[in-house]
Amino acid sequence: MTSGRMELVCPAGTPATLRAAVQAGADAVYCGFRDETNARNFPGLNFSGEELAEGVRFAHDHGSKVLVAINTFARVNDVDLWKKAADTAAECGANAIIAADIAVLDHVAKNHKQVRLHLSVQAAAATPEAIGFYATSFGIRRVVLPRVLSIQEIAALNRAIEVETEAFVFGGLCVMIEGRCYLSSYATGKSPNLNGVCSPPEMVSYDDEPNSTAARLSGFTIDRYEPGEPVGYPTLCKGKFKAGGKTSYLFEDPVSLNAGGMIAGLKAAGVTALKIEGRQRGKGYVTEVVRAFRKAVDAVEQGGDAIEIDRILAGQSEGSRQTAGAYSKKWR
Amino acid sequence: MVTGNTEPRLPAVVRYLFPAFAGLPLGPLLTLSLRSLAGRQPRLFDRLGEHRTACYFIDPIDLAFAFTVVPDAERSIVRVVGKSEAATSSVQIRGPILTLLSLLDGTLDGDALFFSRIISISGRTAAVLALRNTIEDAELRPADLLGLRGALARLVDTGILGALDVARQMADRNSRSKAPEA
Amino acid sequence: MSAIALTLGPVFFHWSPDRLLDFYRRIADEAPIDRVHVGEVICGKRMPFSDSAWPEIIERLERAGKEVVLSTLAAPATVRERRSIADLCTDERLVEINDVTALPSRSGKPFVTGPFLNVYNEASARFLIQRGATTICPPVELSLAAVGAMAGACPEAEFEIFVFGRLPLALSGRCYHARIHGLHKDSCQFTCERDPDGLAVDTLDDQQFLTINGVQTLSNQVQAFCPAPADLTSRGVRRIRLSPHTCDMVEVAKTYRALADGREDPKAARFILSCLDLPGTLVDGYAHGKPGWQAAPSI
Repeated sequence: MTSGRMELVCPAGTPATLRAAVQAGADAVYCGFRDETNARNFPGLNFSGEELAEGVRFAHDHGSKVLVAINTFARVNDVDLWKKAADTAAECGANAIIAADIAVLDHVAKNHKQVRLHLSVQAAAATPEAIGFYATSFGIRRVVLPRVLSIQEIAALNRAIEVETEAFVFGGLCVMIEGRCYLSSYATGKSPNLNGVCSPPEMVSYDDEPNSTAARLSGFTIDRYEPGEPVGYPTLCKGKFKAGGKTSYLFEDPVSLNAGGMIAGLKAAGVTALKIEGRQRGKGYVTEVVRAFRKAVDAVEQGGDAIEIDRILAGQSEGSRQTAGAYSKKWR
Repeated sequence: MVTGNTEPRLPAVVRYLFPAFAGLPLGPLLTLSLRSLAGRQPRLFDRLGEHRTACYFIDPIDLAFAFTVVPDAERSIVRVVGKSEAATSSVQIRGPILTLLSLLDGTLDGDALFFSRIISISGRTAAVLALRNTIEDAELRPADLLGLRGALARLVDTGILGALDVARQMADRNSRSKAPEA
Repeated sequence: MSAIALTLGPVFFHWSPDRLLDFYRRIADEAPIDRVHVGEVICGKRMPFSDSAWPEIIERLERAGKEVVLSTLAAPATVRERRSIADLCTDERLVEINDVTALPSRSGKPFVTGPFLNVYNEASARFLIQRGATTICPPVELSLAAVGAMAGACPEAEFEIFVFGRLPLALSGRCYHARIHGLHKDSCQFTCERDPDGLAVDTLDDQQFLTINGVQTLSNQVQAFCPAPADLTSRGVRRIRLSPHTCDMVEVAKTYRALADGREDPKAARFILSCLDLPGTLVDGYAHGKPGWQAAPSI
């Protein structure tokens, strides 16, 4: 599908992070409004309309694009809030809107033809038929791929569809199919689809016990740590549970995604854009990761070999364990 | 909670600014500086939303006193308090003073510090997150918060930020050494 | 014709063809259910096992006067899985769509949208109704009030609410039954067959929490929402869905039929359900706009 240079798409949770990502070499940044219209609706994060307009000006002045995520599912009787978010994004000069809900996609397709539509990973479109449906119905130009496909499957998919694909390469990893997971609302009443939050912070507690610390979500124990042991955020699908007589990280070990070693493979598979997760991360982190991936992508574009790419990305482990996720078939 | 004796020593300028007793001037000074920050950057406090009225207990474990902060823009209040006042607050944040200061200007990543337990947090997690994200966007330098200007501001920034570099190297070492094979 | 119709949703679990035949024979003969969903929804790898059983099951159900709906896969991936969806979509019977993959081949013909399809508001419901949706069963995390608001805005379609069974909470590309047995999905040995109601997942403090079923995660607790019939009809919700388990589903169906007809009050219905051999405790939080694991104290 693609023959040009791969685009590096980077997270921006705040205006300061947007500027940091642009200056570190992002081809595009993605961000959202400070409300439940986007899937990273965390306290203190995200943009007002005014901040977005300034951010777009800054990005455009530096040759970067801004993609606005309006990727939760509109609440019944409140669809106007989501439509208005799309209108504001369009007015601010956003290059694209990233959406998942049919209601939002339909609104943008009908009212903002000049704005590109990207299909959010929250729509979980993984087949030529599903992607074709969104392309025909709403004219989407790009699909953000669900994190369940292997490289081989992505290559086959790209041969079968007419739109660009964007693949996650780094950051937090959803184990469940995005947009179709209600674990969070089951425990807490709030979910990514409804409220733009997963395992919301106001339901989190770290409880000190005689010889350990328990991380709980809404009273459910998600993990337990020895004194001094690094703790984790109690995201449901990364917890330690008992099942079938075993105690284990049943759904996923506490790992993050690093497909840095697969950039060349993703390019060969026809992927147009590479996405870094982490709108909740700070600008120090974003700067460092974007800078490294900028170098890595440039090296791949210039035909650099795997050893060189590994060397560039060697510092990006930030102390946590990493996985190539579903890109490698064994993950399943 | 393991802290060890590996913290860098407080640089002179910090010791000068935070005398090791519950000095009276510090509370009002910080209150004033937070309120004047609100005057200069009102949008900053919008980011906190409902958590503007939360009471944050900030406990630099290597100092003899702690702070409570209610970051309610021009109604902000900072008090210098004893270590025992944690119970009345909505959020408790504990860590070495340099590390806490480093969070201000985004030198160090709050998540990384928390998960590696260099700082510890209890209470309303949402309020902590809101504060952390607000500070992250504010791009403050230590002198901004102290309301300092001119030569003194530059001196403070140089002193504190210099010390922060040391802290950052330590934090890096700490987290890298814990990284198992991918 | 009663004001509130009963649907039996598809079996989520890997039941053997014999178990499926026995189960549906009894449903056909004894259960006061109007509409029955058949077919594999969770895992395409299970299809070769059950495929041979469906024709007889469908024939049996239709002979007993049940309306049969063909349910389709919720997370199709392989060419074979995609083809099976396209094939089912050509059927003259009603088809349940659980993934957008099925939409192009079913548009223009009547279909049901299942709880795996993200229909959260009246605008997306209307869009799907224009393409053929006649019954909409929204995601389980939506409250009765939200489903009712959609029903009120879209009177041209029938809205259905998930009232009974372990709640379908998530799907993954990864198979947890395989993972827990140290296997990969591609060579899974079908260990999910050992757990006909799913495998319980407890927290470190032994709180009952979730259930795994191959690539699917469900609640450990059993949804047992028992609304007074007027709570449904006043909101325009005209259909309720029961999800199959190994407990006595005929008794479950009879209880809900009596509840829907006003012959049993919600409290009594809930009591009868609690006396059955259910795999978990009873909850109904989602229906009330609360966390799904909670149970209304009033009932």
